[in-house]
Amino acid sequence: MNVRQGKSAEAKRSLKKRGVFVREMRENRELYLMCVPALIILVMFCYIPFAGTWMAFTDFNVVDGIFGSKFVGLDNFKFFFSRHSMGWKVIYNTLFINFFGIILGLIVPVSIAIFFNEIRSRLFKKLTQSFMFFPYFLSWVVVGAIIYGFFSSDVGVVNRILTELHMEPVKWYAEPKYWKGIIIFADMWKWSGYSSIIYMAAMAGFDGSLFEAAEVDGANKLQRILRLTIPMLKPAAVVLTLMSIGRIFYGDFGMIYGIVGNNPVLMDTVTVIDTYVYQTMRTMGFSYSTAIGLFQSLMGLILVTLANKAAKKVNEGEGLF
Amino acid sequence: MSVRKKSAADRFVTGFAYVFIGLFGLMCLYPLALTLSVSLSSEREVVLNGYSVLPQKFTVDTYRYIFLNSGSQIGRSYLVTILITVAGTLGAMLITSMIAFAISVRTLRYRNVIAFICNFTIVFSAGLIPWYVVCVNYYGLKNNILALILPSIFSVWNMFLMRTYFSTISPSLYEAAKIDGAGYFRIYWKIAVPLSKTAMLTVGMMYALQYWNDWWNALIFINDKKLFPLQYYLYTILSNVNAISSGRIPAGASAGLTLPAETVKMAVTIITIGPILFLYPLVQKYFVQGIMTGAVKE
Repeated sequence: MNVRQGKSAEAKRSLKKRGVFVREMRENRELYLMCVPALIILVMFCYIPFAGTWMAFTDFNVVDGIFGSKFVGLDNFKFFFSRHSMGWKVIYNTLFINFFGIILGLIVPVSIAIFFNEIRSRLFKKLTQSFMFFPYFLSWVVVGAIIYGFFSSDVGVVNRILTELHMEPVKWYAEPKYWKGIIIFADMWKWSGYSSIIYMAAMAGFDGSLFEAAEVDGANKLQRILRLTIPMLKPAAVVLTLMSIGRIFYGDFGMIYGIVGNNPVLMDTVTVIDTYVYQTMRTMGFSYSTAIGLFQSLMGLILVTLANKAAKKVNEGEGLF
Repeated sequence: MSVRKKSAADRFVTGFAYVFIGLFGLMCLYPLALTLSVSLSSEREVVLNGYSVLPQKFTVDTYRYIFLNSGSQIGRSYLVTILITVAGTLGAMLITSMIAFAISVRTLRYRNVIAFICNFTIVFSAGLIPWYVVCVNYYGLKNNILALILPSIFSVWNMFLMRTYFSTISPSLYEAAKIDGAGYFRIYWKIAVPLSKTAMLTVGMMYALQYWNDWWNALIFINDKKLFPLQYYLYTILSNVNAISSGRIPAGASAGLTLPAETVKMAVTIITIGPILFLYPLVQKYFVQGIMTGAVKE
């Protein structure tokens, strides 16, 4: 008796649950239909490809297909970390470029926002902000063209200056050692104007009376910047930096290829995980490059989760997304 | 005394601010001016004196040369770029704003599930190769113009940006419309979209910029020269130049390639960013607004 009662209660509950679902679908059908196109795109380009990650554990060949090819376990991953592949070097390049990118991407935009705030002339503000924001609108290919204008051996600006100063011109495009620096600088150049706007938005929300009070108390501008502005910018800076740290295993494919192109001499020093995946796809087959991509995604997932936790701690429960 | 000292320190900070911001602004402007100037210079002077920020022997010959010689390829690439930008942006805006509106409605029971489905794709992805295999083998995107449109037609970031705008609209407006018998699609089209014109413009421009600047999809999917978008055409020119200047390409391999003249490279660059240059003063404020809204959400 009791058992039967329990069963029917359960059935009722599940029926009720289904009822809720059906009723919700009927009631808000139009809203759900409006989500369908976007969800189809996500399924097509983000979710279905997950099935393909199986290739990472096989020795893929076209004839046997994704699920018919020979299973090899973790061999592809092992090879990536072995001495025979560029694995560690590529990871090092990625982390190196991103690490300095993050540091410059913190200091420069914050400085811009702070000093921009000290400027009174409206025309000056308008002009300089237009200039600083402009690089964001350029593709990496265009930035690559600009960099060529600076570093080309014969006509480039830098070598002409070196000659003026009676120094030896450098064959930049044949010298790998400079390019990590050039790329880090280019990244800073392209994004600083953009990121500084985020900090300016944060500053626009500051309580002005605090600054007035500090001024009345005799604090000069530098003290106000150091004691008020910077501490108040900290939450925004921490969140943005955590976001970049969460993506530290992702290189910017467009940046590397746009600037260095397929220059065989420079490729080694600036190959990041993303460009390596693309190169190995063409030279070493799908399985190996899938494995590297999967490794990258997993590292990304772990780091983003950690960064999100950290952000919640700093930001009173508000995560990154 | 102390007052004067303080104001001296303040003046120094202000002065430094002007110098710092001014120099950084110039640093961002200078390369552009350089590119423009070289494209308007005579080739012989440029080879002789190097790049300079003022045009040397001002001439528009380079542009004339480009349009007479490779005009067809550039014109074609321009058309491809315009087509994918217009079609892509319109499609993206419709798709993005519909889902953003739907999950901004607070009475939608499963909106958090949908938001999660979207969010997850930011955090975790299958990687390039599975994506490529699926696109080429199952969707037939190789050398297909849809390859330049579909993969970037829905950005989760832009969707959340839009949702932020939509959720500022008062639900009582929707309730009133519902009482009058309007369905949600009508409410979206007649109330939410017109009330969020700025948001639509902002997100639309972000998509447009993304499509205009895209060459990654072309690099991956397109071999057919007829379908090269402008950015990718520029990339192929520069990439060859770049490889040859490394000095390690065997003579045989580079023999077939002729280096385009300096002025030509820069003129193609200017042609590529031309519309951005013209529209920039008009659209800048929308981008600033978009970034600020995104930042507030964080």
